[in-house]
Amino acid sequence: MAVKVLDKLIDKEDTFEIVRDKISEILLAETANQVDLAAAEPNPSLWAFKVYLERSNAFEQFLPEANAPDKDVTPIVNIWYDNGSFPGNQGDTVERQVHEAVYNIDCYASGVSSDNPAGGHNPGDKAAALNVQRILRLIRNILMSNVNTYLQLQGIVGRRWPNSITMFQPSIDNRATPNVIGARLALRVKFNEFSPQQTPEILELVSVDIKRLSDGQVVLEADYDQTPPI
Amino acid sequence: MGLKEIAAADARIILNDKITGVAIPIIITDPDGVVGNLTGNTNDIGQLIDVDTGVAVSGRFATIVITIADLTEAGLGIPRGIADNNKKPWLVDFDDVNGNSYKFKVEEIMPDRTIGVIACVVGAYE
Repeated sequence: MAVKVLDKLIDKEDTFEIVRDKISEILLAETANQVDLAAAEPNPSLWAFKVYLERSNAFEQFLPEANAPDKDVTPIVNIWYDNGSFPGNQGDTVERQVHEAVYNIDCYASGVSSDNPAGGHNPGDKAAALNVQRILRLIRNILMSNVNTYLQLQGIVGRRWPNSITMFQPSIDNRATPNVIGARLALRVKFNEFSPQQTPEILELVSVDIKRLSDGQVVLEADYDQTPPI
Repeated sequence: MGLKEIAAADARIILNDKITGVAIPIIITDPDGVVGNLTGNTNDIGQLIDVDTGVAVSGRFATIVITIADLTEAGLGIPRGIADNNKKPWLVDFDDVNGNSYKFKVEEIMPDRTIGVIACVVGAYE
């Protein structure tokens, strides 16, 4: 029969949750920063993207029509914890485990075909792909900048590395409009996870000094509570 | 008149019946700017887009169905999706049931020369 042994409530976040939240904080802060830095550029909105965390409901932002007051074509970034591995030759079985986690940073961008007054037109499928690749570029540059070497969690994060970038080609039967393309930057992050430690109960306190006497003898001088014999 | 001709004629009647049928006005503009005021069936419904990330994106699926004979009478050829960005696309304008106007670009066609109709999948155009 299992015995309850933990004497503390588990009310702390695990490191993988802290890292997940920090990735979203970094991206959220930096996209706003980039838009500010691009104030002199012709189109600062090219540096903007929305940041979401662990979302699974459908994104409906690209649905409103061209003239709709709530139309918003800002690309979307959704961060979610995908998987983690715990190398058996690292960490220990008592308190600390090394966690190598993969976070999926998914990007979504739309493209609507539009007229080009100079001639021809701008195809929406190409625009969607270029838009999402622009967001991939921004995210990789932000997360791999030297200021984010430890994802601003120095002492917690050991290493972060872009595991892969994947472009998701639309399926053949996907004929919906507008064109929406998805892409993913999988970020691998290495950090420690700690587990609850049982508070030890002091059974007896024994203090021992090791001394060498003048005649060369090595003696142990012990100091402990003792109930004198009756 | 054979059965195929009868079927084609019936299809043309159905796709032009704005009074008792489902047909509505559709404006087709070819890449050269030739405009045809036609009538046909339209479809514009919501559709989830699966971008393969595990999270869907909401979109629309819009189509029109018109007869090849009507296109020919209007001086238009067969619409098709134009991939070249140095060319104008085939454009389609029609209203929804509430009178809101939408402009689309022809992205994919499915001609049925058996009974003389052509279905076009259209995408939003600005």
